[in-house]
Amino acid sequence: MSGIEIKNLHKRWATFDAVRDVSFTVAPGTLTVLLGPSGCGKSTTLRLIAGLDAATSGQILIGGRDVTTAPPARRGLAMVFQNYALFPHLSVAENILFGLKVRRVPAAERTRRLRKAADILGLGALLERKPSQLSGGQQQRVALGRAIVAEAPICLMDEPLSNLDAQLRHEMRKEIRSIQQSLNMTMVYVTHDQIEAMSLADQVILMRGGSIEQKAAPVDLYLKPATSFAARFIGTPPMNLIALANGKGGAIVKGSQGPALVEGSGDGLLLGLRPEEIRIEREGIVPATIRSIEYHGADSILECAVGDQLLLVRVEGIRRHTVGDTVRLGWLPEAMHIFDEAQSQRVERKVLVRQAEPALRVAT
Amino acid sequence: MTLTALTDQPVHSRGQSFWRAVELAGCYLLGALWVLPLFYAVWMAFHAAEYEVRFDLFAPLTLGNFVDAWNAAPFARYFLNTFVLITVILASQFVICTLAAYAFARYEFRGKTIVFMLVLLQLMIMPEVLLVENYRTMVKLGVIDTVLAMGLPYMASAFGIFLLRQAFLTVPKELDDAARVEGAGPLGILLKVYVPLSRPIYVAYGLVSVSYHWNNLLWPLVVTNSVSTRPLTVGLQVFASPDQGVQWSIISAAALMTSAPLLIGFLLFQRQFVQSFMRAGIK
Repeated sequence: MSGIEIKNLHKRWATFDAVRDVSFTVAPGTLTVLLGPSGCGKSTTLRLIAGLDAATSGQILIGGRDVTTAPPARRGLAMVFQNYALFPHLSVAENILFGLKVRRVPAAERTRRLRKAADILGLGALLERKPSQLSGGQQQRVALGRAIVAEAPICLMDEPLSNLDAQLRHEMRKEIRSIQQSLNMTMVYVTHDQIEAMSLADQVILMRGGSIEQKAAPVDLYLKPATSFAARFIGTPPMNLIALANGKGGAIVKGSQGPALVEGSGDGLLLGLRPEEIRIEREGIVPATIRSIEYHGADSILECAVGDQLLLVRVEGIRRHTVGDTVRLGWLPEAMHIFDEAQSQRVERKVLVRQAEPALRVAT
Repeated sequence: MTLTALTDQPVHSRGQSFWRAVELAGCYLLGALWVLPLFYAVWMAFHAAEYEVRFDLFAPLTLGNFVDAWNAAPFARYFLNTFVLITVILASQFVICTLAAYAFARYEFRGKTIVFMLVLLQLMIMPEVLLVENYRTMVKLGVIDTVLAMGLPYMASAFGIFLLRQAFLTVPKELDDAARVEGAGPLGILLKVYVPLSRPIYVAYGLVSVSYHWNNLLWPLVVTNSVSTRPLTVGLQVFASPDQGVQWSIISAAALMTSAPLLIGFLLFQRQFVQSFMRAGIK
């Protein structure tokens, strides 16, 4: 079993830097997700790890061995591609066994591994078919099968679920996680879907513009976003980021009359609040006006104006509010995230909001 | 094929149906023009010499012309020569064009564009222009009157390189990547991914090449001068030369005989050929 260590990895194409100074480690037997919007360098990073592209500078270590210049085949890894990369002229069985034949694995061993992979993935009845005769989900399984039979310690996945419908994506997500854990694979998984990242990962590496924005466990990424970008990227609907301003006794929501929410000056700061952390309470902290209501079934998203800032608030599904109502919004002190607007970095400030008395909360 | 394709279309209006009738008549006319000489040759080949210019539906059929032709010239040897020639050319073309096309499609090297332009330039030069120069080269190489001399000028075919390069470019890069991750080397990837995926192109190209070289006369005529190397076309030419006395029925029989393998092959595999040309996107 081996882990991956990336040190100061840099990839420069002719005109721009696709990956800038990226360093991270993947512990053996864990799943790391590279997450980010398209063009953030996550796929390039994966291709560098795979050896499909050459790094401009930096080091890649797999299992403690420097493989920065090694060809893909010598890195002890398997890879699943976005469009599955199944060979259309080969049957399912031949596709799965392609690498083993190239590596001249004995026939008996090939059969054993094929049977094992087919059992895990439920492909037994499809082995003689051609890829064009399979559904998207089945093709995806064949691609997984090829990665499984390689029995490589490392498995790389490049947006493997992006071509599947929502239902199938959910099933395959669970399946990939369970395969990864039962076979104890070290996996690097690229996706732009934050839900996939949060549900799969042991470690999420959030990238933007070629550099790492934050690397953390999913829980920490959600609870303690390091930058305003990380804050906005995780969660549906995304975290509210509202501007603060200087006010009496501390920083207030820009355009409002107070009260002071954080100590010190407020100009140039952003307050982050997740929609699901905000509640409508009689004794709430700030007054707000409901601007619009979006009904989702289990819950509704209210758009509320505080000062001249807009906040999304998630409330339970029953329609108790109408547009134009004035309500008071409350939240727990630890739900507040403060960011520097110019640098977009998280800053720690003393929060002046106090947790509401339990009695009062019940009363609402 | 063309006719069935046309008649399958629904008829919409009278104006259209008129033009369709004209089109159909045109098709039949051109078809008839094309096939008449062949019919005439078949007629002559299967009838005795006195029916050469006399049409009689009930004239007695005979295979005598074929027997005479076969005995008059070493056609068995010519067949063998042509077969060897075509095999050598096609095999070398496949090997050379595949490797060159792979390099042009997937590798970056200095001067790639210029070299490719030079290859394309070869497409625009008529082979006949180089007849004398090629002959000189063959003399220098000391290979005059050999199968090698007949095949050598055609082995690196610009058309083949271009065609295969285009085919290789359409193979998804992801398949290449997948094969690399699975441990295949450059040659392994070429043989296991690119070549099988371009099979229709190979069939189409093979067809063009085989029929061209089966029918090629001028260069073999120039470069060969013995029975042991002459291909069918040259043999037939020698056979039909006036000093033997012109006997059209025997010549027709010989001509039919020499083109029969190709003709039968085409008829048998017509469907596959047409499909491969459709897939290859050339007509």
